[in-house]
Amino acid sequence: MKATTKYNIPAALIVAALGLLSLFPLFWMVRSSLMSNLEIFRYPPLLLPTKWRFDNYAKAFTLLPFHRYFLNTLIIAIPAVFGVLTTSSMAAYAFARLEFPGKNLIFSLVIASMLMPMACTIIPIFAGWASLGLIDTFLPLIIPPFLGGGGVNIFLTRQFLRTIPRELDEAALIDGASHVRVMTAILLPLIKPVLITIGLFTFVYNWNDLMGPILYLNSSDNNTISQGLANFRSGFGTDYRAIMAITTLTISPVVAVFLVGQKYFVEGIALSGLKA
Amino acid sequence: MHRNSLNRRPGLAFALLLPSFIGLIFYTLLPLIGVVGYSLTSWDMLSPPVFIGLENYRNILTDDFFFGYAVGATLYFAVGATALGMVWSFLIALLLNQRIPARGFWRATFYLPYVIPIIGTTIIWGWMYQSSFGLFNFLMNKMGFDKVDWLGKNATAMPSIIVMTIWGIGNLIVIFLAGLQGVPRTYLEAVEIDGGNVWHKFAHITLPLMSPIIFYNFLMSVVANLQSFGPAFVLTQGGPNSSTLTMVYLIWREGFQRNRMGHASALSVILFAFIGLLTVLIFRFTGSRQFFEGD
Repeated sequence: MKATTKYNIPAALIVAALGLLSLFPLFWMVRSSLMSNLEIFRYPPLLLPTKWRFDNYAKAFTLLPFHRYFLNTLIIAIPAVFGVLTTSSMAAYAFARLEFPGKNLIFSLVIASMLMPMACTIIPIFAGWASLGLIDTFLPLIIPPFLGGGGVNIFLTRQFLRTIPRELDEAALIDGASHVRVMTAILLPLIKPVLITIGLFTFVYNWNDLMGPILYLNSSDNNTISQGLANFRSGFGTDYRAIMAITTLTISPVVAVFLVGQKYFVEGIALSGLKA
Repeated sequence: MHRNSLNRRPGLAFALLLPSFIGLIFYTLLPLIGVVGYSLTSWDMLSPPVFIGLENYRNILTDDFFFGYAVGATLYFAVGATALGMVWSFLIALLLNQRIPARGFWRATFYLPYVIPIIGTTIIWGWMYQSSFGLFNFLMNKMGFDKVDWLGKNATAMPSIIVMTIWGIGNLIVIFLAGLQGVPRTYLEAVEIDGGNVWHKFAHITLPLMSPIIFYNFLMSVVANLQSFGPAFVLTQGGPNSSTLTMVYLIWREGFQRNRMGHASALSVILFAFIGLLTVLIFRFTGSRQFFEGD
């Protein structure tokens, strides 16, 4: 008790120094995005722009159809979040509450699928979508989240459901409520924290995904935001001022989502490691 | 009694699991069979695949010098990024677990880069690595060294990518920190009472109790790092001289740029077999060494 207010000063100083160092690349990005072309190529480099040129951002919007990419990304990410949440909690309910033959085997298959190296199967999966004629549509990116929502998410939701006393839903079942009603009306509100965590991670994953859009979305009208930025970089490789402004715009939404939902990010990721 | 009759609902359970089954079949099982099948063919995606037996594998192991580069680059990246990442994240977590002010803020600070998209990370770091105007070369000059073409030289390209990757592993830090916070204070105090020092506490309490979490982070890092694609795709295109040509980038290049789907499938099968074998070995090797408290 007596030591509760005594800080470990050396540790605090090292953490602060390394923490600021870790933030520095983001500072450098924003700082570069506000400079003139003369300033950005000054050597030795300036720490801050002499004049903050916010019009770089306005100009960035004219260089590529940013709003289009933004919209495309949302068209993928929002259904993806919905798909992951519904199908992973359905599976989690079955594993946490129901009895059925082969339960343990099926559950271990779901867990094992967490370790599946997805990069190794891109070719047959691509071939499958191609044979359905769905290349350059959003469907190859929207449908997979509806196929169970991923082993990690099923696992996390199941673990969370197991912390809720069974007496609660059994009372309702004895009173004649259906399992579907127990899940939607009683349990879903109680597992909201884990659902928010999974929803946020899924959103960020889809916002950041690069390989999926590169494989499936060819025409520039269909590009997502990460993909659009990648293409812009290869096209305008030396216009660092515009690239930095667009990069800042691209990552701002995920940074905002992270800051708002920080608690859920931290708890979710901590849980995934501890319960495994 | 009630529990069994109320919850024994196989029909409902299978209905709820139907999307997962479809996922397991169409996104895991069939693609695995498919990639093995395609690896035995020559296929350019325009005409139907032609069966050629093990020709792709023979070609990869004898003629395809890119395969050798890719094995080297993939292992270099996976070993470097995993080893450095584990040590760095564990150290930061140990520091964050001390009595420090604003711990939540600093935890968020280290975690933040993890949510930055890889395209953003590579662009920001690419700019700092830039050889003429980049920040790092300014610092090199300041310290009295010559400028280095970080991403343009064989010797420095991969280390530069590894350092950049370490910036983005805040997830490992948060997982380690959560584990450290679960180490009972009473155990540590018991060591103190017995006259143990910081090292004793670390080696005999913290490390053994953390071993399941170290194992989890290690396994997840290795599997992820063996599938690195983004830095090569955005920053280096596998260069210079194929020194950053990771296997997944090679698979993508062979398959989707050069339309050699059979060849790329064979590379995929080799990568899958390697990751699978390694996973089994990691489980075998570390499984017996883990210490689980209680049960």
